[in-house]
Amino acid sequence: MSNSERKSINPLMMSVMIRLRSVGLSPPTLSFFVILAILPLFIRSEYTLRLLVVGLLLGSQAMAFSFTLSSIDIINFGFAAFCGVGAYTSALLAINLGISPWIGFIAGAIVAAVLGLGVGVLTLRLRGLFAACMAWFLGLTLQSLAAVLVDLTRGYLGLPVPFLLDVASSRPYYYIILPIAILTYVVLQGLDQSNIGLACRAIGQNTEAAKASGVNPTKYKVINFTVSCALAGVLGVFHAHFVGVLTPEIMATTHTTEVLALAYIGGRTSLWGGLLAALVIIPVFEYLRSIVMEVRFIIYGLLLISVMIFYPEGLTGLVRAAGRLAVKLIGKWRQGTGAQK
Amino acid sequence: MDTIFDMLFIGLLRGGLYALMASGLTLVLGVMNISNFAHGELYMVGGYAAYFAGSVFGLHPLLAILVGALAASATGVLVERTAFRALRTMSRDKWLTNSFLLTVGISFILQYSAFVIWGPTYKGVPSYWEGFIPLTPTFRLPLDRAFAFVAAVVGVSALWFFLTKTVTGKAIRSVSEDETGAMLVGINIRKMHTLTFALSCLLAGLAGASLLPIAPAHPFVGLGPLFKSYFVVILAGFGNVMGSVVGAFVIGLLETITYYNLGAGWQNVASLIVIMLVLLLKPAGLFGSE
Repeated sequence: MSNSERKSINPLMMSVMIRLRSVGLSPPTLSFFVILAILPLFIRSEYTLRLLVVGLLLGSQAMAFSFTLSSIDIINFGFAAFCGVGAYTSALLAINLGISPWIGFIAGAIVAAVLGLGVGVLTLRLRGLFAACMAWFLGLTLQSLAAVLVDLTRGYLGLPVPFLLDVASSRPYYYIILPIAILTYVVLQGLDQSNIGLACRAIGQNTEAAKASGVNPTKYKVINFTVSCALAGVLGVFHAHFVGVLTPEIMATTHTTEVLALAYIGGRTSLWGGLLAALVIIPVFEYLRSIVMEVRFIIYGLLLISVMIFYPEGLTGLVRAAGRLAVKLIGKWRQGTGAQK
Repeated sequence: MDTIFDMLFIGLLRGGLYALMASGLTLVLGVMNISNFAHGELYMVGGYAAYFAGSVFGLHPLLAILVGALAASATGVLVERTAFRALRTMSRDKWLTNSFLLTVGISFILQYSAFVIWGPTYKGVPSYWEGFIPLTPTFRLPLDRAFAFVAAVVGVSALWFFLTKTVTGKAIRSVSEDETGAMLVGINIRKMHTLTFALSCLLAGLAGASLLPIAPAHPFVGLGPLFKSYFVVILAGFGNVMGSVVGAFVIGLLETITYYNLGAGWQNVASLIVIMLVLLLKPAGLFGSE
């Protein structure tokens, strides 16, 4: 791009771009989302679409999970429970009071956030392990409660939940979960870029130093944790009304660990890493289902361990390296063509 | 009242199991600063190994239990030598979080390997020893349960003796207090880490093996004991091995009482409320000094 071209860019356009960038929508991520938006136009198979919806759902969960993990260094080990709470809230409201699932999204988010706030206030002033354990215990307790309160939840028989839409196709669901995923990303990235995010990162890196600079660690940790839990609730509501059956299984520790594995394989330095990991891994695993039914968790484990030890940047690191390489190559090619002229 | 007796006994027996699990978990947390999520899987390994030794190869129950404990310990050494050592050399940044996540991966691998190899079926033995000890007119204690309790008492006492009376045990404790200081007086930290982890896994394996007649081996059998031992660790305070033994019996009794009075599913609620109270009133745990 020559100088004259750069000047000719509309100032309005510039300010829009700066705005977008401040919520994390830089050109690469923006194009990633655009690709995701037009992807279904080329996909005929209902099955593939469904996999993509599941991938986006799990990927958004991974983003919400890693928001807490990467900035304040807290493992929300009851993450699935917060999803489950949102899911059950909305499902029970819809079944017993006939409330629309769309309002259920808000109700689910609020209930999950309140629960997260409670756990946060109780444990986040202590060492990180307490929050992880407490959230985990809460998850296990809620799971066994959901199994025992058969009158309300039908336990492991499964609670039939009204669907979000009256259609059989997954395509409309895709265009519901995609905005939710983008919104999750934008909210989290926006928070991360704000003063709250700055404070959180300071706490995550060195709590003592953050305290010395006048940051109240507990306050910011609680904000961070609550936001993540609220998003977990929203995603749980989507899960309930997308799948149509709800069992206490949704709160199982395995779900938390799956989200955790995705977040880490995606890379701990970025939010979108988890989304990318889910979109790559979930369809691949599903296609290989006949071979890798249960082996997939062994692969998760091996991937998690090797990423932890050998390549902490995960998929994000790979993508960034590829991006740098591309920029370099383009630069060389430009130089080459320029020289020819 | 007989039911009180029953509850007391069953609570104590449960407590014995939790003590074996929680003391090992606490030891690793204190010495290596690892919060081990795969601790339940070593319980599982102990169970499977005892099953194969006892029922397939027909070894004497005592030998089968020993095999179970040793198999878990060997698995532990393998994990420590490969995964933890590699992580420790690569990065010590955010060690507590990262090592915890590493154990999540290990837990996945062990659980689903068992699932793939042996399938989702239960592998158990009807009993190691048949017979009962009549304690009260209505309550007869099965010999298996009695033995499991004895194994727990022996295991925990041996651990206590080892940690307080032997030179190696004292070295381990010194590492938990101050790693640099321990290194300065010539203690081989690496060796102590491996030994600690092996010991912790030995106790978990012992629990899994001696409880095989009551809780048959299954790929996901470890989650329950793991979760309970974390309860105990928080109740007793991090890194306090002997406190965790007391805490184990407290949780065991509490669970049995709520189970009998409120029914299944509610014992977790009761334990959760207790933990919340502890976190509110004395976050360092009942026996914590922080």
